Amino acid sequence: MNRDARLWTAPAVVVVAFVAVMLLGLVRPSLHTTMFTIGLYALIALPLGLIYGQGGTISLAQGSFAALGAYTSAILTTRYGLAPALSVIPAILLPAVLAFAIARPILRLPELSLALVTLSLGTVIAVGLQRGGDFTGSYVGLSGAPPLPIVGKNPVLVAIAIWTAVLLVVVMYSHFVRSARGRALNAIRVDRLLAEAMGVNVPLDLATLFAAAAGIAGLAGWFYVHSIGYIAPDSLNAETSANILFMVVLGGRRAVLGPILGAAFFTFANDFLPGAETHGLFFGTILVLILLLSPDGILSPQAMRAMRRLVGRGRPPANAPASATPAPIPDAKEAAL
Amino acid sequence: MSLAASGISIRFGGLVALNDVAVSVSPGEIVGLVGPNGAGKTTLFNCLTGVARPQHGRVELDGQDISHLRLEHRVRLGIGRTFQTPRLDLAGSVADAVMLGFYPRLKQSLFAAAVPFSSARRTEDDLSARARALIAEFHLAADADAPAGELSLGHLRLLEVARALAGEPRYLLLDEPAAGIDEGDRDLLAQAIRKAAARGIGVLLVEHNVGFVAELSQRMVALVTGEVVAQGTPADVVGDPHVVAAYLGVQRVAA
Repeated sequence: MNRDARLWTAPAVVVVAFVAVMLLGLVRPSLHTTMFTIGLYALIALPLGLIYGQGGTISLAQGSFAALGAYTSAILTTRYGLAPALSVIPAILLPAVLAFAIARPILRLPELSLALVTLSLGTVIAVGLQRGGDFTGSYVGLSGAPPLPIVGKNPVLVAIAIWTAVLLVVVMYSHFVRSARGRALNAIRVDRLLAEAMGVNVPLDLATLFAAAAGIAGLAGWFYVHSIGYIAPDSLNAETSANILFMVVLGGRRAVLGPILGAAFFTFANDFLPGAETHGLFFGTILVLILLLSPDGILSPQAMRAMRRLVGRGRPPANAPASATPAPIPDAKEAAL
Repeated sequence: MSLAASGISIRFGGLVALNDVAVSVSPGEIVGLVGPNGAGKTTLFNCLTGVARPQHGRVELDGQDISHLRLEHRVRLGIGRTFQTPRLDLAGSVADAVMLGFYPRLKQSLFAAAVPFSSARRTEDDLSARARALIAEFHLAADADAPAGELSLGHLRLLEVARALAGEPRYLLLDEPAAGIDEGDRDLLAQAIRKAAARGIGVLLVEHNVGFVAELSQRMVALVTGEVVAQGTPADVVGDPHVVAAYLGVQRVAA
């Protein structure tokens, strides 16, 4: 019972928070657009939370994979008249296939090298999009992408659509970390030799998850271009990738909800802070402060345990220690929230 | 039917770690591999499991040449191992560690693992129950939900053996499982090794502690500076002058 409840904690929190903010949006309609932006970032950041927080594999290419998905869909819909409902498939597949192809040689690199390699991959994609001539719209980008299927341009429906995708990813993430494959991913982060000694095909698992992360970023790109109707080389780029990593690290890379919290923080701070040139200073300071206090971000395993103790304090001790119910323990289990 | 290495030679730079070494273990057999520090015992383990690649020689699993296979592939074919220094997620629970051990026998797609209400969820309950049964066998039930990092070294070694057994290996390679563990745990370990062998698992046991190995194994192999100097029954090997010399540090064996 308890085990199943843990699987659904994070999805439940997402639904409640989403509904609450959308209701506030009745008073302040701009919140609906803000929610779309948070959902967009969360969708790109969540799979990075999985491969980095659980698998120890960093990537600074998520923003660029999203751009690839957005451009793929923009080109197919504006030039070839494909419906967005169909172009979503190549928008997911193209980044995923590219990621899978390059994964094997690069994912064995140590963290810093991998960060740099994925960052330069983003630069290569950006240059390709800028120099793509008429095909990619060059520096100007592409406009006139048709609106999203079914939900159209209604900001409430658009927000519901992207958060449905976020919710699906959260459900899958929550289940994954509590499965044999999730434990294998955890083992890869802790000690690759251990993972191999447990029969885990480390290169294949990492490549597949890296590709899945790129595909989900591509889906986010599809949402982006068909809700805004326009994509340029600067819309989703290496800076986006860096911001996505910031959200994951700040929010808590070990927790499912960490990337979403980071996305919300980033978006609200961007909205309320004056002067774009001071943003870097602000985010840099916040990041340093948070990481000094809690190296695993805001939703760190320690913070989650403290929270659970706080929540549990009011209840009578229903489960004696001898019961079969697993007690809260750190690590993978913390990913429940 | 056996796990067999033959003609294994490996050098690291100028150091010859193993020179034309052969060793084999059959199902249900307990083979002890002894030798002083630096004799090449762990290197031989690494060659058998694919962690190290020998320059010469071949490793066969039940007649199949597995020399070219990587570690994880050999593990899935039924070779389980433990490490001299236990390798575990110290922040994860004892139960999680054993549940990871079931991995080699599982066939679960990444997608099924992420989907609600799939067979992976039922597998999870089943694995949890089996893990707890295994943990109880090693008298670690009280710590099942504690972080592995809170266990003593002896208990960590028992936990590693339990985890290796969870993968239902056909051959089990134990790298100094009795090092640094107290007497009660050592008896528990000896009992578990005997039980595994009785179930048909071939056990290859690396140990420093000659007494522990001699008591358990049917056959012993002694390695000194990368070469097999003696093999046979425990009594033969323990009494062999080369082995005595190596352990007592005598430079030359009088002929």
